[in-house]
Amino acid sequence: MTETQARSEPRNALDELPGELLMWVLIVSELLVFGAGLAAFLGVRISDPFGFAEAQDHLHRTGAALNTVVLITSGFLAARAVQLRRNGQRTMARWHLIAAMLLGGVFLWIKGIEFAEKAEQGIGVETHPFFMFYYLLTGFHAAHVVAGIVILGLVAIWDEAHIIEVGAAFWHMVDLVWVLLFPVVYLLA
Amino acid sequence: MPLKSLTYAWLSLILLSGASAAIAVMVCQNAVPTMTGAATLLVAWMKMRVILSRYLGLWRAPSWRAGFNGVLGGYCLLLLGLYVIPVLAS
Repeated sequence: MTETQARSEPRNALDELPGELLMWVLIVSELLVFGAGLAAFLGVRISDPFGFAEAQDHLHRTGAALNTVVLITSGFLAARAVQLRRNGQRTMARWHLIAAMLLGGVFLWIKGIEFAEKAEQGIGVETHPFFMFYYLLTGFHAAHVVAGIVILGLVAIWDEAHIIEVGAAFWHMVDLVWVLLFPVVYLLA
Repeated sequence: MPLKSLTYAWLSLILLSGASAAIAVMVCQNAVPTMTGAATLLVAWMKMRVILSRYLGLWRAPSWRAGFNGVLGGYCLLLLGLYVIPVLAS
């Protein structure tokens, strides 16, 4: 094997992964945490499917569906920012990151309206086991959205291409969790 | 990856979200729970595939992409199993 071949071929399977290995460890960890939470949610539902269905009817499905579009569009802008920075379009990349952050803010605003509605109806974590999981899972996810917005802000300042890629990967993880959380909590009645 | 591929990925995610909305309407109309549950989780799995492959760049690592897709597909089947247990028990 020549030296050129050795350089061009991946050393091991981990080298194939795009971006930072630690970010992938974080992505897998978060998927495991949320995955366990969603499995527990459906596991507890077995004992009271009608109660869960009735509780789920109090959720705002349209708002949550809108939030899905908001988050995947935000992820699209973050992914574009990585490509734009690689192409040397630094200013455009920053604007894309700022737009992605703003859409993250829109997601939180819609989520805030949803939580406020529940509070007005007197629905809390102790109302029904469904709502305990609802607040736990969606609240924990919202905390990740806040963290993601901060990270996107930081990588918009320190905007080396590989740093933006890591920040965007965290944002895509938030996106990935939501596309699983939304159908399970909001749609599987 | 060209920006055009990202745009196609975004459009496919929007279309899949539209499919989720259509399924949600069926849920509200009391359609067969097993079918709507399977369709809901299938759409979610397809969305995750697009995000992993295009947004997170796993298209560059086919073996990892296949691994993630397989594990997440198996996990969705587990969720479907948990979801249909009450239906089968009744």
